[in-house]
Amino acid sequence: MLKATIGWFCSYTPTELFEAAGCAAYGIREDSGKAHEDVYLGDSICSYVRSCMGGALGGSYDFLDGVVVAHSCECMRRLYDGWLFKQNDIKPECIHLLDVPRVCNEKSIAFFSQSLRHLKDKIELRYGKITDDALRASIVRHNRTRALLSRLFELRKRDNPPVTGVEALKIIQRSTTEPRDEFNRDLESLLASWESDSRASNSARPRVMVYGGIGNPRLHEAVEDAGGIVVFEDACTGVRHFYGMADTEGDPIHALAARYLSKPPCPRMLGEHANRGLSDAVQIIKDYRIQGIVYYAVKFCTNLQMGMLQYKEMIGGHAPVKMIEGEISGEVNEREIASFIKKIGRRSAA
Amino acid sequence: MNGRITEENRKQREIQYKNFVSLTGMTERQMEDLAAERFAGAWSELTASQKRGRLLSDQFLRSYGRSPEAKGEYQLVGWRSLFMPTEIMYAMGIMPLTVEMTAAQLAMMGLAVGRLETAEGNGYVQDICSFIKTGGGAVIEDILPSPDILLTSTHICDPSAKFAMYAAHKYNRPEFVLDIPYSVWSYGPDEEGKKRYEDAVSYVADQLGDMVRFISSETGAVFDEAKLIETIELANEARKWFLLGYKFLLEEPGAVQGSKDMDYAVNLMQTWGTEQIVDVYKSRYDELRAAAKKKSAAGEKPKVRWAHLRPYYANTLIDYIEEKADIIGSHVNYIYWDEMDARDPFRELARKTVLTPTYCQVGTRSSLILQAMNKGEGLIAFYPKSCRHYHSSARMEQETFKKNGIPMLILDSDCIDNRGDDFLIQKTRIDRFLKSLEQGQMRV
Repeated sequence: MLKATIGWFCSYTPTELFEAAGCAAYGIREDSGKAHEDVYLGDSICSYVRSCMGGALGGSYDFLDGVVVAHSCECMRRLYDGWLFKQNDIKPECIHLLDVPRVCNEKSIAFFSQSLRHLKDKIELRYGKITDDALRASIVRHNRTRALLSRLFELRKRDNPPVTGVEALKIIQRSTTEPRDEFNRDLESLLASWESDSRASNSARPRVMVYGGIGNPRLHEAVEDAGGIVVFEDACTGVRHFYGMADTEGDPIHALAARYLSKPPCPRMLGEHANRGLSDAVQIIKDYRIQGIVYYAVKFCTNLQMGMLQYKEMIGGHAPVKMIEGEISGEVNEREIASFIKKIGRRSAA
Repeated sequence: MNGRITEENRKQREIQYKNFVSLTGMTERQMEDLAAERFAGAWSELTASQKRGRLLSDQFLRSYGRSPEAKGEYQLVGWRSLFMPTEIMYAMGIMPLTVEMTAAQLAMMGLAVGRLETAEGNGYVQDICSFIKTGGGAVIEDILPSPDILLTSTHICDPSAKFAMYAAHKYNRPEFVLDIPYSVWSYGPDEEGKKRYEDAVSYVADQLGDMVRFISSETGAVFDEAKLIETIELANEARKWFLLGYKFLLEEPGAVQGSKDMDYAVNLMQTWGTEQIVDVYKSRYDELRAAAKKKSAAGEKPKVRWAHLRPYYANTLIDYIEEKADIIGSHVNYIYWDEMDARDPFRELARKTVLTPTYCQVGTRSSLILQAMNKGEGLIAFYPKSCRHYHSSARMEQETFKKNGIPMLILDSDCIDNRGDDFLIQKTRIDRFLKSLEQGQMRV
């Protein structure tokens, strides 16, 4: 029997803590369709946060009992402020703002561990004690999801991937909202059928990586409608969501802090870890034989906008990079994408 | 010193200086003459604002090796983000260069729009912070003295930190990132809150120690704790004089133009830890007292406080406001930190750094502003639309202040980019706001 359902927004939120307390974790990823009901945060905030705030005010998340906001960027910090400010008009309680360091080293992991203990206290106050054993069991279940999603990504390395980008994205999104054990069972059986499948006809399609944040599902459709295939997402709804296991031995809080800070970096991250993320992209391009990259910056996401130049300069020599700005939903510039897919297709044919 | 970097910088700064001078429309000779003229007078004869200007000009020119007071000398230059403390830098002989301050200077010289256009033509999107975009254009045009090192804190502005990451890549220079916990002001006064605060201070103090080692290993600069203690004592002395002036200005509104006082911008300034800034703030205090004696007995004007920064380009907005109201204080001149205990320098600097009040939740920031304000005063918030951090809090702040009887006017314009400036629209709103203040009304 679930005690509650807790919403989360950012991939730096250790949902293991929610599930260890007997709660369900629900990742708010999709557009609520109510971005324009948010007038509190103004028009210089990204469409994801506007959608979350508008959705909260419009009742889209009334099925949740509470939410935890991670302080990942300028926009997310205002989502927390807005939620608190309008709490009387919003059903789910804003439980906590989780401070997340922007560098990854021993000191920041230790400091993040303290932040996680504070979050744990807040959850325990509402939903009861979280024992170390329950937390470890939750980590094991999360690691299982991570291992399964890694297997899914392994399949996408194939010359003839049995799964399209649109299908893979839907699975990643399901992993953020569905009950974990149920999801793990379903994905296990899907993987079994895909792993033995050689009937797909994706081998001739230009292979694309999507780089971005929360992204826009329409982007995958546009790439694949234009004849390409998305084989990798360096995005919050991609590798940043699942890559890297949490240690199941020792102090589970420290294990979570280490896993979440050292996972593939979001553009919010700085310093050596952020630079390593860019260097790792080169290896990903080789492993997945990426022929073109679509860099999708959600408008008003400063970290993605400011990261464009460096990304293009560092990665552009390894694969062509197409920069596109847009929102988290709605139309993307299909002609621009089609022209890019055509270009990388011609390039690889030559 | 790092031989490779020094050698590259020596050559490149010659070119960068030429590039900078060419923007001003002057020849190098004319620029040298102008600098010599500016630096000819005795320091003691200058006004406080002239002293501040000379100090900042000297620092800027020194970074190219072109200051009349240190011509040809190689200067270690550290590009800092706006809220990175400077005391350690001075103690180690590193000259700070703050890109946001440089952008403001370029705007005052009428040179920012060209840099903005360069940035926009090279991949910077329209809605990015204009301070940073100007810096981006300046990097692309290669007009700033290249750094030996970059020191970046994660405070407040995402674009500032990402810009530094890009600049480190572009110049191939080492960067140290100081991670700052968020919203320490909101931790609460109970035992748990106090513990969390001390933990946050320890986290930053430890990193400051790492930063010193990083600077030493990357630049060869020597760390001497006695020198750091000395810079902290200077910062304390400067703080004391600034506070005296600040309190005096509250008691004697209208003694000087509040907008001019905003240019001290003490909680952003890159001069904490220098000898000269002590004298600048002492001179300011002396001038304020002298000006108060000469102040005319004309009728009192409405009192307003200023949130965020002012427009740095030539504008009529500020003069218009000051014709009709007294600006008696501003966010940027708020001394939020206690005097530092120089015997524990890292911890004390960490305390000062984590307490930057802008870097906290909107509710906490609003409470801090409310504590400082008096009934009858108004607040003008000059919030650029390109600033996610401030612009996004405007509506919540306005409602909070209204409930507390403080009228607030939000001007969403820009500090650097005057391409969308429309004074006539703002004038109507300012008139209405000031009239309501005069009448003691709440309607804004």
